[in-house]
Order: sequence, then C-alpha cells, then structure tokens
Amino acid sequence: MTERLANRIKEKRAELGLTQAELAERCGVTRKTVNTVENGIFVPSTLLALKLARALSLPVEELFSIEN
Amino acid sequence: MTDRSAGERADFLSRRRARMLPALAIIYFSQQAIYFRSTAATHPRDVDRLWIAAWVVLSLLILAGLVTKGFWFQPREVRDLIDDEHTRASRLEGLRVGFIVAMLTAVLLYFVDQFTVMTAREAVHIILSLGLGAALLRFGLLERRALLDD
Repeated sequence: MTERLANRIKEKRAELGLTQAELAERCGVTRKTVNTVENGIFVPSTLLALKLARALSLPVEELFSIEN
Repeated sequence: MTDRSAGERADFLSRRRARMLPALAIIYFSQQAIYFRSTAATHPRDVDRLWIAAWVVLSLLILAGLVTKGFWFQPREVRDLIDDEHTRASRLEGLRVGFIVAMLTAVLLYFVDQFTVMTAREAVHIILSLGLGAALLRFGLLERRALLDD
C-alpha cells in the first residue's frame, strides 16, 4: 500500500491571496521548495510543515493529511 | 539586480543553477571522453599535464560545490535561502547516487584489471569522473524537476 502526503496549501494560499513567493518568504525558503511541497513532489520536514501551517494560520493536521 | 530581495535573488540563482548543472555534467563527461581518446591517459606530455591539473581543479571545484552551499560570493542570507530544505535533499540524493556509481565503477575496474593493463591514474580518473559526474547530473535533474511545475 502506497501512502502519500496530501496537502491543502494551494487552496489555503489562494484563500489568503498569497503567491508562492510570498508564502516562501514567510517560511524562509525559496519559492521552488513551496512549489515542490504544494505539488506533492517533496515531503517537507516537521519544521517546514509547522512553518507552512503557521504562515497559513492553520493547524498542521488540517494542512497535511495521509492519502492511501 | 541590487534592489532585489534576498528571496528573489535566491530564486533567480537557484533557477540558473538548475539550468546549468545538467549542462555542466555533460561537458564534464565529454571532457573525459576526450582525455581517454588522447595519449594523456597513458603517455602524458607537458601539455597533457596541464590538462590533467585543470581536470583536478575542476573536479575539486565540483566536489566543493556539491558538499557546500555553493554560491560562495553571495551574501550569507542569500546562500542560506538557496540551500533550503529541498535543495539539501536534492544535494544529498545527488551525493548518494554519485557514491553508488563510484563504488560500482571501482568494482567493475577491479574485475576488468584482470584482462587489461590500466594505470592507477586512469582508474582514479574514471572512478572520480563517473562518481562526480553522476552526482552532478542527479542533483541538477532534481533541481530542474522542482521547477517544472511552475
């Protein structure tokens, strides 16, 4: 069974009217990293997941979920 | 250029790196092909020794670029941003692939040495070039892939 990390970054980012670059700046990473996390290419560390959740004003478990 | 924020500058530089790395890997590999087709590997002349020294310097620069954040002349803030989480993961994956390729090449050369004469320099040249080139290529391709969904 393959599990993947799903996320709602794009949706939440759009709700707040943030660009990837703005979100990246808030988290202290490059836009490329936000892009890869958003598209499910890269699984972020706990630290980055928490930073993303904080930047999007959401609990981390609402931003990320495990998809089977 | 100077009025760009650190984030914009880091983005610009990481894009440029993603474009350059695979090209650099291909140039590096093709240089090795030229080396083995010439007499430099077996009977180096003075000009070949200069070429070999240039290869050593380039290899050390590539290695330094792979194991450090690179962009040594950029401000620390920009260097830290360029070497963010995704880049570190890509770099480590590149180094992992490079190590495996180097080890497999060493095993292959150890076997091939029974049937052909090979100098220590030739063997080291092949192992180092393939290992570094593979690491560079893998790192570059991962960085490129990260920018594909823009």
